[in-house]
Amino acid sequence: MGYFDVPEIEYTRYSNRQLAAVPLAVLAVALLVLSGSFLVYGTPVQLGMDFAGGAELTIQTTSSEEEINDAFSVEPDSIQSIQAPGVENQYTVQFAGIDDEDAIQELTGQAEANLAQDGDAAIVQQESTASPGFAAQTQQTALLGLAVAFLGMSVIAFLLFRTFVPSIAIVVSAFSDIVIPLAFMSIADIPLSLGTVAALLMLIGYSVDSDILLNNHILRREGDFYESSHRAMRTGITMTVTSMMAMLVMGISAYLFGVELMASIGIILFVGLAADLMNTYMLNMSMLRWYKFHGVRS
Amino acid sequence: MGPVAFVKEYWRILMIVGFVGFALIALFIPGGIVADETLVDDGEVEETPTNLEYGIGLDGGTRVSAPPVGMTAENIDIEPGEEHEVQSTLYSYDYENADLEPRDANVRFHEEPPRHTAELFSNDVTQAEFAAALQEAGVDATEDDIENGVTQETRDEIIETIELRINEGGLDGGTAYEEATLGGGYYIVTEVPGMDPDELRELLTARGEVQIVAYHPDDDGQQTNTTVLQGEEIADPGSASYDEQRDRHYVPVSVDNTPREDGTSPAQDYQDSMNELGFTGEGQGQCQIHDRAAGEFHFDHDQPQWCLLTVVDGEVVDAHSMGGNLGQSMASGTWVNDPSFQMIVPTQQDAHELSVNLNSGALTAPLDFSQEQTFSLEPALADQFKLYSLIIGALSVLTVSGMVFLRYRNPKVAAPMILTATAEVVILLGFAALIRMPLDLSHVAGFVAVVGTGVDDLVIIADEVMDDGEVSSQRVFESRFRKAFWVIGAAAATTIIALSPLAVLSLGDLRGFAIITILGVLIGVLVTRPAYGDILQRLLTDK
Repeated sequence: MGYFDVPEIEYTRYSNRQLAAVPLAVLAVALLVLSGSFLVYGTPVQLGMDFAGGAELTIQTTSSEEEINDAFSVEPDSIQSIQAPGVENQYTVQFAGIDDEDAIQELTGQAEANLAQDGDAAIVQQESTASPGFAAQTQQTALLGLAVAFLGMSVIAFLLFRTFVPSIAIVVSAFSDIVIPLAFMSIADIPLSLGTVAALLMLIGYSVDSDILLNNHILRREGDFYESSHRAMRTGITMTVTSMMAMLVMGISAYLFGVELMASIGIILFVGLAADLMNTYMLNMSMLRWYKFHGVRS
Repeated sequence: MGPVAFVKEYWRILMIVGFVGFALIALFIPGGIVADETLVDDGEVEETPTNLEYGIGLDGGTRVSAPPVGMTAENIDIEPGEEHEVQSTLYSYDYENADLEPRDANVRFHEEPPRHTAELFSNDVTQAEFAAALQEAGVDATEDDIENGVTQETRDEIIETIELRINEGGLDGGTAYEEATLGGGYYIVTEVPGMDPDELRELLTARGEVQIVAYHPDDDGQQTNTTVLQGEEIADPGSASYDEQRDRHYVPVSVDNTPREDGTSPAQDYQDSMNELGFTGEGQGQCQIHDRAAGEFHFDHDQPQWCLLTVVDGEVVDAHSMGGNLGQSMASGTWVNDPSFQMIVPTQQDAHELSVNLNSGALTAPLDFSQEQTFSLEPALADQFKLYSLIIGALSVLTVSGMVFLRYRNPKVAAPMILTATAEVVILLGFAALIRMPLDLSHVAGFVAVVGTGVDDLVIIADEVMDDGEVSSQRVFESRFRKAFWVIGAAAATTIIALSPLAVLSLGDLRGFAIITILGVLIGVLVTRPAYGDILQRLLTDK
């Protein structure tokens, strides 16, 4: 097994424009995806049952997936079979965007009436429902939470560095770190749930870590720009890659076990942290280099 | 080295050892740090290897959240003593789509600050109609004075009633609480282990209003209904009972006989009306409308009837005549001295429901199930989730350890790093056990996030300290450690800021995640990460 080393990148070979172009292009594509989805479906990201109303059932049955699909008066959005050790015949069935409150409450009864029982285990093992009214409220609250968190992070960034360019660099990369996983969700058809919102908020915290580290090394330390940045990268990339691996493992195992909340937190953080690597070491780096060599000192 | 110097030298390490020890005691010693007598007395406490408490997401059960129905006019200008009059105008007003009952309107006086509020508990009345009804009652109010939602007192009463109901049902560990939403609304959240959503919903839907209605001939010989006793006038309801001799189910009750200002009491009133309406005289034993064998009521009779109807939420549960002994003691006026009787109902189920309703009282306002959220988990699946959480947590820690070893290749750096990160989780778990925080899946996600941020910060410390080759002296180490700490502190501050909205807002599952992550970051910055610096210093400077 090889060791994990952080490679040294020859930043001198690329101009600031070249460096910034890639992450900005990715950000532009992500925004395009989100606005396209907004125009077509009315929301930038598909809303899960937490935000659109609906239900999520975990059922245990010997019926086939096709039979499960036909068992309900509303067609399920997804049926996922749970792959955990020692567990058979368990499925997670999701319904999102049901407008009718009564239809949501009837789903459990339909599952119990139309599906075959597996031994003496209850058919509906887990049930989670949200009425459209409740979901609308949740949606507002989550949006407010995201906005407050982002604003708070921006204020802290400005307080820490007290200069415009390095601070705005942090804010821009954090913004991009959130937008890119959102676009990923839109493309990969992952609905926005409470778990993914938690992941996005967590991403604000994680992504700022590496940005602060980079800014700190370059602005507050003696020494050559490239040497400082290389040191910051050695630490920062170790951090981010370690977190990415932890999240990937958590995401995949939780997905196989059918633990939706932890699966979405893991996957979204993985994607977001990957975006953060690019944003920190290309976008933020180019802005800092411009500031260090050409910028106006205040 | 003297003890003082020793403590001075190693205080950071001593602190982390102390915290971990404390956490282990809180986690594994039965009774933990704070021995809870109430739990020890209860022989039914499940034997578990740790003192951790689990929420319904890891233990099974059902949670239903729904807001109370109703609207409120704050600060209405009425004289003391007019409350009853205004209230009766409010429910008898001719609303377009609603036919209200006395329980649907409520006028209250609040002590602090002194003011009156009027509430109307119906989804079928508009704010404009409510304002119009208030004006008819002589209160100067416009549509703008009316707000959606009910008063704090009403919510408290609802919560109290629900808690009584779930505990009357013989289920331990059920709770009810309110949760604020944006825009000033409130949800009433009920959590009960071992009940499915339909059962819980039924328990919450029933308004639980018990009345005794006299069905008797009036002066013209026409049968009429008179409400003679309200549920809240029953002072001391017992539990469901069974009379073997006479083969019947009943709930023993006694009527409130504390005198009011004018000297009368509900018991006195009840006795008087029984005598006036003829129940204790000509009507004794004259009730044939209840076909007990079929469980039906027939209101098409030839003879005049004197029946006492037990009515729950507008539905007749039982009908019977006044019994001989009871009738005599009422007729002689001595019943009021010991105002008790048996409320007879057809089945044991009815007796149980009646007892629950009498004991818990009626819900002041109904809950709006068109805005509900439910979550329910079978205990079997909950057990699987506990196992999964353990596996997922262990896998994440292993992954992180693997990455750290691959990166540093030096066990002197990597091993304490992993130990420190694990210590952080142990301290957090101990804390959760100490404050009896019920753990759910979201908390487990928080623990994984804590390991993630924890190791991030340890990497920063390790890289900074080992920067530029050997750490030759204490002074060099201290200065490098301080530099590293600036970054860690800044990063911790942003994580806390980013997650604090979740810890405060009512976003259900996410609150646990945010609270654990914030606590973990705090413990990390204040306790474990400085200690790691110390350990690293000992190992690298070979002191």
